[in-house]
Amino acid sequence: MKQTPKEIQIIERMQPGILTRDGFLGYDERHLNEIIETDEGELQALGITAEEIADRMDFFTERAFDSYDGPIVIEEQFQVEYKSFRGKLVCPFMHGGGYRKGIIYFTNLKHNFQVQWTPLNIHLIREHHFFQGKGSKFRLEPRILSKVLF
Amino acid sequence: MTFILWNILIVSGISGGLALLLVLADMFIANYGECTIDINNGKKQIKVEGGSSLLTLLGDNNLFIPSACGGRGSCGFCKVKVLEGGGPLLPTEKPYLNAQELKDNIRLSCQIKVKEDIKIWIPPELFSIKRFRAKVAKIEDYTYDIKGLTFKLIEPTRIEFKAGQYVQLETKPYAKNKSTVSRAYSISSNPDHEDILQLIIRRVPEGICTTWVHDHLNEGDEISFTGPFGDFVIQDTEADMFFIAGGSGKAPIKSMVEYLHNHGSKRRMVYFFGARTKKDLYLTEHFREYEKKLPDFTYVPVLSQPEEGSDWDGRTGYVLPYFQEFMRDPAKTEAYLCGSPGMISAVTKELKKLGVPEDRIFYDSFA
Repeated sequence: MKQTPKEIQIIERMQPGILTRDGFLGYDERHLNEIIETDEGELQALGITAEEIADRMDFFTERAFDSYDGPIVIEEQFQVEYKSFRGKLVCPFMHGGGYRKGIIYFTNLKHNFQVQWTPLNIHLIREHHFFQGKGSKFRLEPRILSKVLF
Repeated sequence: MTFILWNILIVSGISGGLALLLVLADMFIANYGECTIDINNGKKQIKVEGGSSLLTLLGDNNLFIPSACGGRGSCGFCKVKVLEGGGPLLPTEKPYLNAQELKDNIRLSCQIKVKEDIKIWIPPELFSIKRFRAKVAKIEDYTYDIKGLTFKLIEPTRIEFKAGQYVQLETKPYAKNKSTVSRAYSISSNPDHEDILQLIIRRVPEGICTTWVHDHLNEGDEISFTGPFGDFVIQDTEADMFFIAGGSGKAPIKSMVEYLHNHGSKRRMVYFFGARTKKDLYLTEHFREYEKKLPDFTYVPVLSQPEEGSDWDGRTGYVLPYFQEFMRDPAKTEAYLCGSPGMISAVTKELKKLGVPEDRIFYDSFA
């Protein structure tokens, strides 16, 4: 697939050791656009938008920030906990600003299912519909998110 | 057949000629010659050979602009104000600059290629930043995910810093990470010990630098860092001091307490250290010793989730409810906070509620 210079730069920034230790693409050998388009297709089939997922993740993340480093239960069904680390992560798509370097541990108590994400994950989903490549440590499956977040 | 061969020869000849032209152009046309970098309206002027990035040229001349990505344009930290020259703003810079910064002609120094004379302005404190080489003298496991590192300085052999400041530690290539990054860590040692430097580093999942420190760095290895940076420092007053910091946020507080002891401080000090379980506690004995060494210092570890059946008989919950117990006069109390934005926000709110003036709350946020 032909790549624009900007795409080449973005994909370079997603490689291990550039912005994060293991990068954003995992073992996924598909082109970045294909990864995004496949997940967009899945969202469409699920009848949910990336923005709706990001909004819900934002809601839990804000509550987790406020929880001051301890787990809290929301709506009697969801538990969130935030572990913070020094520094910021930047967007591989070269959007400005930095995103808190921390992890939100989310548990759907009803389904007994746990997922984790970083504030950067939310930005990548909302702005770029990018859930990361298969095998990436912070890859989030749209199908799972659509089930456990709501 | 001959026709095809001739065509191949002609195309190869043209390609070769163009390649030669590019080499010659790079040698003569792209030779920018000597350029002058004027810093802070003549405070310092350096003559450089044009063609490299501003960040690199400043670094080559011992002026270190904070940067976390090593000049790859991926961190957006190496900002300087360009007063004259520098060429047009590049698309690679724009994402990292807000409207005000764009208006003020703030640029990323790693993205500016110096091709002509340039005038810039940098914060004056950056003039005193140095790059140090040091040897790893000791690595200690403080907890399951926190290590304490002691470096013996090689060149320069001494460092001057204020308790509470930080340095930028540079990684070396390892595993899949082929390049160097820099990350900021608060100094945990006493500023009076000028030949060593200590850091406290917590493992960050997926962290490039902390993985290097935790899994690849060994005693005896040589490392480099730049610094000191930061304005999270002790205020020169006699006010009571509240320290609130958990995890690796203990680093600047350790430096401050040790410094205050060395200088015979009689100030009243209380250090609230919030942790989840007993296995998150560290340097407890160290701070208990300072309770004996300092005239009025109390160390208050608080566990938010002590394990069931644990023999913990100290305070539990969050640190906030215990502030009042130790508060003598809120108007004459200073607070020094180091930790996550959530913690800073919650603690600041509580301290203000108790009457501590906002301008006496100082913090070093992880954000």
